[in-house]
Amino acid sequence: MDIIVCIKQVPDVPNIRLDEHRMTIIREGVEGIINPLDCVALEAAVNLRERQGGRITVLSMGPPQSEEALREALAFGADQAILLTDPAFAGADTLATSHVLATAISMLKPFPDLVICGRQTIDSDTGHVGPQIAEELDLPQVCGVNEIHPQGDSLVVKRLYDGFQDTFRVNTPALLTVSQDLSSPHHIPLGDLERAFSDREIIRWAIKDLNLKPEEVGLGGSATRVWKLRKAASKRRGEIVTGSTQSLVEHVIRKLEALSILDEESGNG
Amino acid sequence: MYLEPSMKQMVIRRTVRKFAEERLSPVAVEMDATGTFPSEIIREMAKLQYFGLEIPAHYGGAGLDAVSYAIVIEEISRSCAAVGLCICVHNSVSANPIYEFGTEGQRKTFLVPMAEGQAIGTFCLTEPNAGSDVSSLGTIAIRDGNGYVLNGNKVFVTNGGMSSVNLIFAVTNTTGKQKRYSVFIVESERKGLEKGPNEELMGMRGNPVCPIALNDCHVPVENRLGGEGQGLKIALSSLVDGRIGIASQALGIAQASLDVSLEYAKERYQFGKPLSEFGAIQNYLVNLVTRVEGARLLTYRSAYLKDQGLAHTKEAAMAKLYASEVAVDVTRVGLQIHGGYGYTKAYPIERYYRDAKACEIYEGTSEIQRLVIARSLGYG
Repeated sequence: MDIIVCIKQVPDVPNIRLDEHRMTIIREGVEGIINPLDCVALEAAVNLRERQGGRITVLSMGPPQSEEALREALAFGADQAILLTDPAFAGADTLATSHVLATAISMLKPFPDLVICGRQTIDSDTGHVGPQIAEELDLPQVCGVNEIHPQGDSLVVKRLYDGFQDTFRVNTPALLTVSQDLSSPHHIPLGDLERAFSDREIIRWAIKDLNLKPEEVGLGGSATRVWKLRKAASKRRGEIVTGSTQSLVEHVIRKLEALSILDEESGNG
Repeated sequence: MYLEPSMKQMVIRRTVRKFAEERLSPVAVEMDATGTFPSEIIREMAKLQYFGLEIPAHYGGAGLDAVSYAIVIEEISRSCAAVGLCICVHNSVSANPIYEFGTEGQRKTFLVPMAEGQAIGTFCLTEPNAGSDVSSLGTIAIRDGNGYVLNGNKVFVTNGGMSSVNLIFAVTNTTGKQKRYSVFIVESERKGLEKGPNEELMGMRGNPVCPIALNDCHVPVENRLGGEGQGLKIALSSLVDGRIGIASQALGIAQASLDVSLEYAKERYQFGKPLSEFGAIQNYLVNLVTRVEGARLLTYRSAYLKDQGLAHTKEAAMAKLYASEVAVDVTRVGLQIHGGYGYTKAYPIERYYRDAKACEIYEGTSEIQRLVIARSLGYG
């Protein structure tokens, strides 16, 4: 099974800072990590390869320093890494990003059996990119899956949605976006990291390699513009309650029940 | 001059920190309380290649550079110093000397299982009457046919309680004015090697530190590491690199203390404001942060010099001396910032304080490090 995993290097969330004037996230001096749900996607790909055989290609559009995320993905178990990088790609919204990624995927020979993405990223949280790639490549898609079971030429996938579990049979090639519940990414052996950074190659494709025009990518290819960006004021307020231990426990239970966090009848969450 | 870790080293730090926070931080308290080292941690870390950090891949290791090695030890020690100590000693003064001075046969027989984490290693130099003073070593190895017979007592053997491979330093000449030392790789199951009960330690309690006695222990000549009489050279060379490891360990403990102290100072309110807004506490914290950063630079620099193949005896001694003293200071002042709560086991700072103290003592006390540095200045 040939699998593509799309990943994005994102700023480590606790350290995110905003440039409200330029309306962008400040990336300088902030450590970049692989978007956590993309690690879940990678783990899913590694598990599928273990069962089905095949090859994992990891794909990312980003500035040259995204190489770090791709090398980490190689250490994680990917067989090949492609970095889509060009100054022309800068300023892309999710549509322009999806277009570049979809174009790169369409150029791969053979065409992959499966494309896996994280459901959303922690830096923009749109959840657009996976579905937009699927639309552009005319692939069946299921978003937010938490189980993947290969069956012949198709996949049986499940997802939790609004308190229901949906089960789908999807013919391949297909695109899935994955949720956190799918799996816990494994820890990377140190020797694999060493090799990923010293011996492995990163394939780099720029705009000309993808035969794209400047107006199709970056700001020019974007359908949306950020109008305003500001840091939201935290609305979380604490409540100080005093009383005996018994009354405090009862108070907390009532609060949790009111929030439907605790089930009133069973007493279980 | 570029003083930042490389892309690879940053990812290694993140990877190790994630593992350590998920797997080691939760067991650190219990390891300290019970004085036990969970075997599943060894198995897990073995799979992730923590037992052959600088050993090349074809001997089963991870093949890391020395700066990456320092970062790994720092991050492990930040979560659990007792595990950091295990990894540090196993790698720097047990596996590395076998790689550096061992024959191909010794590498295959001993190093590969060590790098794969199947065999834990020790470094047995210290004796009841010989520690800093190596010339007082009393363990004797007498040539006997195609081997040696070892007799003597080793104490404070880090990893001793769970080791399979032990580097035993012994005197190999009984005549002549000048003692000649040799090193022997002695398997734990070898007849004549007996381990005593684990020590009740002040800190680093999760590590099974114990005495090892050698009573007419027959060791074949092929277990001698290096030539006869090369023991001192092997010991000193191993200890130079061991110091980078202990400096890294001290750095990890210091960073852990700093992290919890900075957090506590923000959370703890007195007189209507957080401790962090009091000038006295800010001064403490600023001094600690600055000193930890200084220790980090010294430590990484000594590792960098090793990577470049340059002399680093003085620099490793400086890093070990400074980082271990910083660790003791940071934990002491950090505990002071925590006040009464810091003196309880409800907070980790008291454990860090006890753990840090060991760094000033083992693999060359602070006094010995000062001696090494003084000699590099032409004194003594």
